[in-house]
Amino acid sequence: MWLYLLGLLGAAFVLIAAGLALRGGGGSRIAADGGLLADRGSSYGKAFGLSRWLTTVDHKDIGLLYIALGVVAGLWGGVDAMMIRTELATPPTDVWDTRTYNELFTTHGITMLFLFVTPVFTGIANYFIPLLVDADDMAFPRINAIAFWLLPPSLVFIRAGLVTEVLAKVLEAFGVVVEALFALEPPGIGWTLYTPMSIEALNPQIDVFLLGLHLSGIATTIGAINIIVTIFTERGEEVGWENLDILSWALLTMSGLILFSFPVLGSVLVMLLMDRNFGTTFFLAEGGGALLYQHLFWFFGHPEVYVIVLPAFGLISFMLPRLVGRRLFGFKFLVYSTLAIGVLSFGVWAHHMFATGMDPRIRGSFMAVSIAIAVPSAVKVFNWIATLWYSRIRLSAPAIFLLGGIAVFIVGGVTGVFLASVPVDMVFHGTYYVVGHFHLILMGIIPFTMFAASYYWYPLLTGRMYDPRLARIQAVLTVVGGFVAFVPMLVVGADGLPRRYAQYPPEYALLNQVSTLGAYLIGAGVVLWVYNVFQSLRVGPEVEDADVWNLKETGQFSREWQWFERRLEQRRGEPSDDD
Amino acid sequence: MALADENRTRRVLGAIAGGVAGMAAMSIAFALLEVETRYEVGIFAGIARFVMVPGNLALGFLVFVLFGAIVWPLLFVFVEEHIPGGPDPGRRGLAFATVLWVLFMLTAAGNVTGATLLIYATLTLVGHLAYGFILGAVYGHVRPDFSLAEVRERRNPR
Repeated sequence: MWLYLLGLLGAAFVLIAAGLALRGGGGSRIAADGGLLADRGSSYGKAFGLSRWLTTVDHKDIGLLYIALGVVAGLWGGVDAMMIRTELATPPTDVWDTRTYNELFTTHGITMLFLFVTPVFTGIANYFIPLLVDADDMAFPRINAIAFWLLPPSLVFIRAGLVTEVLAKVLEAFGVVVEALFALEPPGIGWTLYTPMSIEALNPQIDVFLLGLHLSGIATTIGAINIIVTIFTERGEEVGWENLDILSWALLTMSGLILFSFPVLGSVLVMLLMDRNFGTTFFLAEGGGALLYQHLFWFFGHPEVYVIVLPAFGLISFMLPRLVGRRLFGFKFLVYSTLAIGVLSFGVWAHHMFATGMDPRIRGSFMAVSIAIAVPSAVKVFNWIATLWYSRIRLSAPAIFLLGGIAVFIVGGVTGVFLASVPVDMVFHGTYYVVGHFHLILMGIIPFTMFAASYYWYPLLTGRMYDPRLARIQAVLTVVGGFVAFVPMLVVGADGLPRRYAQYPPEYALLNQVSTLGAYLIGAGVVLWVYNVFQSLRVGPEVEDADVWNLKETGQFSREWQWFERRLEQRRGEPSDDD
Repeated sequence: MALADENRTRRVLGAIAGGVAGMAAMSIAFALLEVETRYEVGIFAGIARFVMVPGNLALGFLVFVLFGAIVWPLLFVFVEEHIPGGPDPGRRGLAFATVLWVLFMLTAAGNVTGATLLIYATLTLVGHLAYGFILGAVYGHVRPDFSLAEVRERRNPR
């Protein structure tokens, strides 16, 4: 263990030394100035190659770094999911044992929530908020870089069990056996880390995991503060609250939720660490109890749900009208519904705990708020549908993703209204019905809008066009895969099949295999996306006209595209350095 | 490829560079997958069977890396013109690697069956495709007599 920590420390020193050497070599020394760029407004020289990415404080570069990290984590979490579905392709436990299965659904959940979705949306926020609100950069460029660079170590900490094992195996191949590296095993306690199991589990990796989670929480909070301050103080002269775009509203609300909920997660993680290592009794029966843990966890955990879906809602509201050539219907109500969700999300946490035997009066009030929060979400859906009314729907890849996403979200959302009702939840709690419900929402809303955004802004991000035919195939494949993977879960769940088990009775085999087929379809879609992104970076036709989506026609040529147009014009003034 | 070609050296070196880069990516991916899948997939045992030294994982892996870094890239240079998907060597690399994957599955899968075979086939296919694409892309980048512009003209915007 000590050798391992020593090794980590050594690696950190080497990295710092390398960074200092690169900085010295680049010859671009920046004096300490409290986080403000020394000469704002003028262009500053960027380093080249690797040192550019290691030392950058440019919001666009940091945004891309966030997105890259998120994609890596998302692919990793996706492999976890494929493994879960492979295990469930047959009724008995025949591919992985139950312990590995437990580790899989734990790491799948944690990786997707904290290391995939949040970084990708923070990356999109970093790239586009300054462009959309006409700011030079984020309010605190260097704090922005710190917030990002806390994430790679937290990824390593959270997934350390596997990383250390790879390292141990490599060392073993060279004849060096480091026992400590084998001691860390992936945690198998579920992403909610419920006590008392999370206190009693001996695996030392759980401590490293909690520290990593805490670190990612700090990074997320720092990023959120930056987003809030940027939108409040860095808006250009022409951008007032009355014409702030819908995506910035959503990201602002998301950041507010982060600011109020993540400190609670931080506290609960520290208390859990203390309970595990220092003999405190926060979550023991005679102290606060397991229920205290659940209250604190879900006080964070439910706003977290909206932290990850609000930016996606914002992206749909932002892209949909531009892709179908019609103004967004009911802009003001979409903003109000976003804010309403933000407020209400702090009043619904106990619906995760209906089955714990709480006082029925408390359950009743949480049931009322949980049903109420469906209203602003429905307002959004109706606004999107009204936006589509008499519009010119062109089935480009992002449009297919958004339309498919809304459809999947409606199924997921309506099943959630049923779950909000206490008696229904008492029956379905702990079955696949819940898994189907939240995966339909998460899948339809989050990855689908991310894919849509990646295509919508691909020309702006890379200066090249993606392969539209391949993209449409990917879109259809992924939307179909989403339905095929998660709708059968509603069926087997309604029939009473419990979740979180590696084996199940043979009569559920067919529906589970259908689910697995859906998961593999989604996986195939992801491979096509990765190929399209890299191949189009190589051979995609260069974008000549910044109005890729015919936005000028409908007066929706927004600030980020205007910025892109200016950049293209600047480029045209200079000799092309391509090829 | 005509052996008298004046660009021969750069083409061969380019292909080997591509092979090394592709193998680096594929080896890291396979090592992670092997641990992530808790050794159920047995990629390294499969690799040893693939290169005809069943049972000897270290030697098997060494031979595998040598093949991937040198032998297959050289073969790729020789047969490139006949591989479908051109003129982009990146796409040709995908087709080339798919053939390699079929060979891999025939020899390496061994007694892997059932659901394990499903994920085994999928993950190794993705690994091979990544290898082929990187091989072709790096080769095309280094090759002096190939221009991406030629490929770009074939694609229309939107």
